[in-house]
Amino acid sequence: MTEPLLSVTDLKVHFPIRRGLLLDRTVDHVKAVDGVSFEIPEGQTLGLVGESGSGKSTTAYATLQLVRPTHGSVRFAGRELTTLRREELRRVRRDIQIVFQDPYASLNPRMTVGRIVGEPLQTHSVGSRRSRRAAVADLLELVGFDPSYTNRYPHEFSGGQRQRIGIARALALNPKLIVCDEPVSALDVSIQAQILNLLKDLQRDLGLTYLFIAHDLAVVRGMSDTIAVMHDGKIVEQGPADAVYTSPQSDYTRALLAAVPVPDPERMRARKAERLRLRPALSQA
Amino acid sequence: MSATQIAGRVAGVDAGAPIRQSSLWQDAWRRYLRNRGAVAAGILFLLIVVWCIVVPIVSPHDPNRIEFPDAYQGPSWSHPFGTDQFGRDLFTRAALGGRISIGIGFGATLAILLIGVAYGAISGFVGGKLDNALMRFLDALYGLPYLPFAILALAIIGTVNFWTMVVALSVASWFITARVVRGQIMTLKENDYVRAAYAVGVRWYMILGRHLLPNTLGVLVITIFLELPGVILGEAFLSFLGLGINPPDASWGSMAQDGRDAYRAHPHIIIIPSLAIATLVLCANFIADGLRDALDPRTKET
Repeated sequence: MTEPLLSVTDLKVHFPIRRGLLLDRTVDHVKAVDGVSFEIPEGQTLGLVGESGSGKSTTAYATLQLVRPTHGSVRFAGRELTTLRREELRRVRRDIQIVFQDPYASLNPRMTVGRIVGEPLQTHSVGSRRSRRAAVADLLELVGFDPSYTNRYPHEFSGGQRQRIGIARALALNPKLIVCDEPVSALDVSIQAQILNLLKDLQRDLGLTYLFIAHDLAVVRGMSDTIAVMHDGKIVEQGPADAVYTSPQSDYTRALLAAVPVPDPERMRARKAERLRLRPALSQA
Repeated sequence: MSATQIAGRVAGVDAGAPIRQSSLWQDAWRRYLRNRGAVAAGILFLLIVVWCIVVPIVSPHDPNRIEFPDAYQGPSWSHPFGTDQFGRDLFTRAALGGRISIGIGFGATLAILLIGVAYGAISGFVGGKLDNALMRFLDALYGLPYLPFAILALAIIGTVNFWTMVVALSVASWFITARVVRGQIMTLKENDYVRAAYAVGVRWYMILGRHLLPNTLGVLVITIFLELPGVILGEAFLSFLGLGINPPDASWGSMAQDGRDAYRAHPHIIIIPSLAIATLVLCANFIADGLRDALDPRTKET
């Protein structure tokens, strides 16, 4: 069997809690991520779900080495990322990109769309200035824009449009893996479907691998091959997408599924009884 | 297959046109123009600056020539602001003094920005122990009173002229700017677009220069007009005490000092430079206020 594109093993990210004015000492740790393991085969999508504060985003940042993990291994395309030095890491970064949740915070307001999308190319000195400009035009077209918008600024665009710009930036270096950190949770429902379809089309045509993070279970189910449920920095359940939904194994997953509203009062009543039964699973830390 | 090769093949829905068209600075300018007080202050400020630049060039009076027969004249057509105890035309001389006062003001403000931005940016960007050390050092300097510190700086330098005044005043008052810039950088650092830049592999100095510093520009513009009044007042105060600009050169502070001896009989000699200082400082404060409202990120999206 071939090695999966990304395999994360026993990943831990602990943030120290410091006390004291001048000579601060570490009194405790916040265990944001506490022993997470998962694998993503090339071309597939792993959906990572969990409530706010469960450590989803920190897992994403640690995978990208934006936050250095306290412990564990992140292997990408046969290379161990956690021990790479800065320059080697810079080169690997071409193959792993990220799409952020908030399209209003993820684009520099002082840069034009063209410079934002072209920055990855410029940073890695891909091609000449002219070929980069052509590549930016192609990328904008790829995410549904008229290439003539290169000189516009982010604030001239709507949330969904900005998210497309963010996706174009992530695609610029032709990466293998894209970490989608709640890419649609800040968008209108009507726009969400457009962005999700765009991501799916891109995956199909470019052979991308996704680590897809969300708290909306319906969104993750439609996107993912495999699903991992996170709670309190740990993965409580992991398996094929449909299996996790139809026969959840852990109480926490069941509680999470029971929290999804359904437009049917009869079924909602049954759900409520289920939620009350599962309440201990949600509150236990 | 590369992303660019398959451009146009993806059946994505057309993303549509931009929802608005305007630049950040244009928006800010429009908001500024809506603030009448700030616009009036801006115009008055410009008039004063133009007066200082133009009048000494076109004036028929030599501002430094002593004509005792003309001494202590009140305002008249040939001397709109009257003359001082040496018979020098105050209209021309106040303009000349304004050049030095405003020059020192802008020079020192610029120096404050340079020191403050460098110190604040390093502190906020690096963070951790270095940030802690730099900020505690700043706290210590903060305890020193502004003018005595400037006087001390002048004493250490030894000579008093335009440039040493700039140095002394800026060395004594860059702390607030440094702290403001540090705060800005620390806030901006948490933005997703900075994270995106790191994820792409952008080097740290490019992140600082391209993603962080340009976004502090709005605050820096405000800072210029917030620091300016303090520096101009500081210069005036030092010169009034005789610790600043020396005769025959004039600044508004040293002119007020000239008028002190005869302030009962000929009050115009002290009133004119004082009014000039007060007007300029008031204008700068109004401008800073207008700029803050115009550049406030909270009003950016409206």
